[in-house]
Amino acid sequence: MLKLAQKAVAAALLAALPFTAQAADKSVKVTSIVEHPALDATRDGIRDELEAQGFKAGEGLRWEYQSAQGDTGTAAQIARKFVGDRADVIVAIATPSAQAAVAAARGSIPVVFSAVTDPVAARLVKSWEEPGGNVTGVSDALPLERHLDLAQEILPDLKRLGVLFNPGEVNSVSTVASLKEAAGARGIQVVEGSAPDTNSVLGAARSLVGRVDAIYIPTDNTVVSALEAVVKVGQDSKLPVLAADTASVPRGAIAAVGFDYYDVGRQTGKIVAEILRGKPAGEIPVQGIETVTLSVNPASAERMGVTLPEAVLSRAEVVQ
Amino acid sequence: MISVSDVHVTFNPGTPVETRALRGLSLDIPAGEFVTVIGSNGAGKSTMLGVLSGEVFPDTGRIAIDEQDVTRWPTPKRAPLVARVFQDPMAGTCEGLTIEENMALAWSRGHRRGLGRAVTNDLRDIFREKLALLGLGLENRLGDRMGLLSGGQRQAITLVMATLNPMKILLLDEHTAALDPKTAAFVMDLTDRIVQDGKLTTLMVTHSMRQALDHGHRTVMLHEGRVVLDVAGSERKGMKVEDLLHMFEKVRGQQIDDDALLLG
Amino acid sequence: MSLIAFLGAIETGLLFGLVALGVFLSFRVLNFPDLTVDGSLPLGAAVAATLIVLGWNPWIATAMAMLGGAMAGLVTAWLNVRLKILHLLASILTMIALYSVNLRIMGRPNQPLLGEETVFTPLEAFGLPFYVTSLILFFVVALVIKLMLDWFLSSQIGLAMRATGANARMARAQGVRTEAMVLLGMALSNALVALAGALFAQAQGGADVSMGVGVIVVGLAAVIMGEAVMSTRVIILATLACVIGSILYRLAVALALNADFIGLQAQDLKLITALLVVIAMTLPGMRGKFLKRVKA
Repeated sequence: MLKLAQKAVAAALLAALPFTAQAADKSVKVTSIVEHPALDATRDGIRDELEAQGFKAGEGLRWEYQSAQGDTGTAAQIARKFVGDRADVIVAIATPSAQAAVAAARGSIPVVFSAVTDPVAARLVKSWEEPGGNVTGVSDALPLERHLDLAQEILPDLKRLGVLFNPGEVNSVSTVASLKEAAGARGIQVVEGSAPDTNSVLGAARSLVGRVDAIYIPTDNTVVSALEAVVKVGQDSKLPVLAADTASVPRGAIAAVGFDYYDVGRQTGKIVAEILRGKPAGEIPVQGIETVTLSVNPASAERMGVTLPEAVLSRAEVVQ
Repeated sequence: MISVSDVHVTFNPGTPVETRALRGLSLDIPAGEFVTVIGSNGAGKSTMLGVLSGEVFPDTGRIAIDEQDVTRWPTPKRAPLVARVFQDPMAGTCEGLTIEENMALAWSRGHRRGLGRAVTNDLRDIFREKLALLGLGLENRLGDRMGLLSGGQRQAITLVMATLNPMKILLLDEHTAALDPKTAAFVMDLTDRIVQDGKLTTLMVTHSMRQALDHGHRTVMLHEGRVVLDVAGSERKGMKVEDLLHMFEKVRGQQIDDDALLLG
Repeated sequence: MSLIAFLGAIETGLLFGLVALGVFLSFRVLNFPDLTVDGSLPLGAAVAATLIVLGWNPWIATAMAMLGGAMAGLVTAWLNVRLKILHLLASILTMIALYSVNLRIMGRPNQPLLGEETVFTPLEAFGLPFYVTSLILFFVVALVIKLMLDWFLSSQIGLAMRATGANARMARAQGVRTEAMVLLGMALSNALVALAGALFAQAQGGADVSMGVGVIVVGLAAVIMGEAVMSTRVIILATLACVIGSILYRLAVALALNADFIGLQAQDLKLITALLVVIAMTLPGMRGKFLKRVKA
């Protein structure tokens, strides 16, 4: 043990001595706070997009990926390492990693974030339009406007929209706040139904019957776990149920506009490529979700007393 | 003056493992008296020490030290009045701490502890002086960890620690039982010296009837949570272990007879 | 390894050295396995970040964070000594509760500090690069805390606290109110961890509810690494070993991030950490058995 530690110190000192010189290759260094299917898909999307744009790892592009394994101390160290390596672009996936990268880079190296829900609230950028500070990226905030577009397309007379969520889930709370704002602008009233745990989802769904024209389910872990209970209420009371994620559609939601984190990665990769070609990061506006998929379930819609318009059916992926 | 009056202690009451450890124990120890206590396993010796030191609270009865009722005082509150040496040499000291740190802990017994240095050079001089009296050379090992010492050395230091501060009673809990005969004799000699020098009120529990008769002024025998025999003075002086054994048998026999009468 | 990465490792090591000192107090001095730290690190970060955003002086905000950590430690100790809940369970309960408390304090899962005035701001006026200024600050803080802890642990109260962890029965017989010692020690321990959280949030750009995950194991690993590489016979060495161990741990991380040559990656680190802790936790027992055998 003693010897091992001594070796570690010696190796660390040796490694620290020749502060490594960089080759002429472009280098992209990617970090995420933890391994997670969505975050990994984002990373793969970035790599594939860069390759499609002619930046292939190993052939002119030095690609490095490091996960902090959920350890914030390690996240800070990874950020420091990337800055010390003088990366051409640092890509940081998820908020804690992005904050660590921005804190370490201090404008000296472009930072592109990805899968950060609210980059302005996280102080990564000043605004979506003019981020400044050598930082930009892609937000994974739910495309609520598109969700509302779809809801109104299917239900032109929509006036009162019920939303089921767990008030203990922070992301849901902020989603509902944004939803109220977006829906209000369209003259739609949002009625909240709260379910603190999966057992109370059924009761919360029933409480909305008669008070709303449709039920919307955000990406709330609690409510999505008990989705079938909501679908049952929808079918019994002829109340259409819309979802925020396409995985809920085969389970009985009539329609959803969803997105894939791989596509978020591809979108991020495009920004990285632009920066590698010389565009300052701070001049590239922050982007929201662009690539979405529409999924519908006509059979479930019928049982909830709704006929899906042809226009929707024609561009949607239909599930039975 | 230590006064134990009609103390009852029952462990795990109302359960199958209910144990009536003390059943009306009464014992008065005048200041300066050295009492030895004997009794078979389960007679209540350990519980009596627990009750005196504050580790066990009686169900009923009263403990008074110099007329002050201390029945419900927890151990730390009672510490200024009661010093104790345990049977297990490991129990009376902290093996991870040094000799001087252990002694400094005992030095503060009965005093308010503050943020001042625990071990000062002045204290080291005092400790050295006290340890030199043992003749074990420990005065040169103040910075050694307690864990490095033998059981006998640790018991000797524990005795010294007990006497660093004034006390109303010194409790010795079979403190030589875990030692080899030679070391036990040394520690016992030391005990006699310390008790005599300080005129300490002492209660020593022992397994050895020989030890009980050879040391102290008075011998008490416990049986089934009560004092069944109490000898002192001239009666005790000529006593041999056989006499004690004989008396013990008699007491036990009587008890069995009593029980038989009750049952009959 | 680049200079920035190397200094970054030292800096993170110094900061987590505070965590290691806190863990040393609970695990080693008080013999109290305390998982509260997984909650008190983000608690310190949350309190400091929230107050700084509200416009408080960053040093006062940091002090308040320490106070918050102390209260968290008190809760765990109180659950244990008063309500007689097993120490490990008591600390897990506090840790779980702190997750909600931290969310409440920040009002959201992440409180950014990028661009806010922090304890580092005045240092930046000297024109040194940030990776030097934060290193200096963390060095000074770690040193001051270490020296204060040395002084405390060799005081009369500190000695009583060490005796409480080493042999509570003996300590009580010497008049030490062991329950009070546990309360005080746990408060101190978690205050140190919260201090680390508060400084870390300011260096790192923000507080995040998830930043406490696994802190206890990292802290323990640092304590154990320190004990493995140097003598901890006296207090001043034992506390130094905590900080050294923490720096070594972070150098190992930095090495793993750069070490294609030994096939190590950041993802292997948790396994190595866990193994290290297992080895070191069984080591004292084995040493004890060995000593007994030698005696016999």
